Amino acid sequence: MPIKTWELDPDFKNEILKEPGGEHLTACYQCSTCTIGCPLTELVPSYNPRKIIQMSLLGMRKEVLSNPDLWICAICQTCTARCPQDVVVGDVLAVIRRLAEKAEAAGEIKIESPRPLFETAFLHTLEKYGRLYDIGLAMEYYPKREGSFIAGQKAMMKDYKDFGMRMFFKGKMGPLGGHGLTKGMLPSKIKQRDVMKKIFAWAEEQEK
Amino acid sequence: MSVEKIAYHPGCPSEATALEQDMSTKEMFKALGVELEEIEDWNCCGAAEAEDPRLVYALNVRNLAIAEKDNLDIMTPCSICYYNLARTNNALKANAELRAEMKGIDPSLEYNGTVTPKHVIEVLVNDIGMDAIKSKLVKKVELKVAPYYGCYLGRPPETAFDDPDDPVLMDQLIELIGGETVPFRSMKTKCCGGPLMMTRADLAFEMARKILQTAKDAGADCIALACPLCGMMLDAKQPDVEKALGVKFDMPIVYITQLIGLALGIDPSKLGLQKNAVDTKKLLEKVV
Repeated sequence: MPIKTWELDPDFKNEILKEPGGEHLTACYQCSTCTIGCPLTELVPSYNPRKIIQMSLLGMRKEVLSNPDLWICAICQTCTARCPQDVVVGDVLAVIRRLAEKAEAAGEIKIESPRPLFETAFLHTLEKYGRLYDIGLAMEYYPKREGSFIAGQKAMMKDYKDFGMRMFFKGKMGPLGGHGLTKGMLPSKIKQRDVMKKIFAWAEEQEK
Repeated sequence: MSVEKIAYHPGCPSEATALEQDMSTKEMFKALGVELEEIEDWNCCGAAEAEDPRLVYALNVRNLAIAEKDNLDIMTPCSICYYNLARTNNALKANAELRAEMKGIDPSLEYNGTVTPKHVIEVLVNDIGMDAIKSKLVKKVELKVAPYYGCYLGRPPETAFDDPDDPVLMDQLIELIGGETVPFRSMKTKCCGGPLMMTRADLAFEMARKILQTAKDAGADCIALACPLCGMMLDAKQPDVEKALGVKFDMPIVYITQLIGLALGIDPSKLGLQKNAVDTKKLLEKVV
């Protein structure tokens, strides 16, 4: 892919540098240790954290932010642990994913991955209840991912029907374990849910 | 160093998908004579899904602040909760301004940085100690075990408490209770794929397959682990991995706390061994 210098955004690296987690971006000397050790690169050869960092340093903002590979990182921290320059690669990639979400919200790019929907649905349950509510997460995520309620239910059943039955018969969800009739089926709510609201409102303010 | 009482942060999976980890953790510490004081009204750590560190700090400072009021260190059986609690503690300890900002969100988030977050394995090995555990063992768990550490015990360096490439603490615990570890170094710290389960199941299944296959090839009776997300991926989703990839493992997955509980003579049902998705009955034959 030819690099068109007139389309580069020299300020992109500064956008990353000023976000918490992105502070050490410029320490990268392109040794590729992050990429060689990555368990996802092993499965998806196009996934290349080293290249994402170099493209960011060059200012290839749009190419970086719309790269679908950004969303297959499993946040396992192998890259961070092995980086000889302490770039904290895992955190840099998280910053780039956050910037991509902002860019999508601003209408600049389209993210080709359901991962942001998943993360948002996950966090919504914390905001509402203070703890993760698996069923609530799935009920928000699948319909959004599939574009309709019915298609979402179908996809959810395909992925989680057998799993759900297993949880039920093992007594981890539902009445069979003797932990209460609705164990795991209803959200577990903390008392200080008002504090959760304040935490999320504050974090959202910081993101701006 | 000995420990009598510690604040307990169970983490969200403890209430459903990792019920057996919570049950076995509580029973094991009871038998070891350590009192667990559950963090009152604890909240979720944000797991891997809270990508903004500021959100992680604000979520985790609440749990730290509750433990601080009781003047206790905080322990969790979940590797991701551990990572989030530990990195929040590091960030806040080093930064008075950030602490003030947390307090500004709500007075209940006032935290002075006096708590040390610990993973269950750390408390076992470093605080209780191998000798003290050994003195309480009544049975031998003569199993061939593949020790699976996953991501956050040896990584990232700022919060790690074991070796990033060849961690040893679970190996030592398995040997202490009469077990044998099988060669598993290539997979010990490789990610299980859990965080990709709902967005890229194809990749997550392949990552889990490698771990399960390696354990089977090494002749393991079971895999021992210490993280509820790894448990969900390798145990609860194992039949789905088998179905999707046309393979068969039948590899029992147990929490290290369940194995130690067996060696302490605790009844298997109290350790939740009937709740693991892959049947664990045949493991019990080798507990003597």
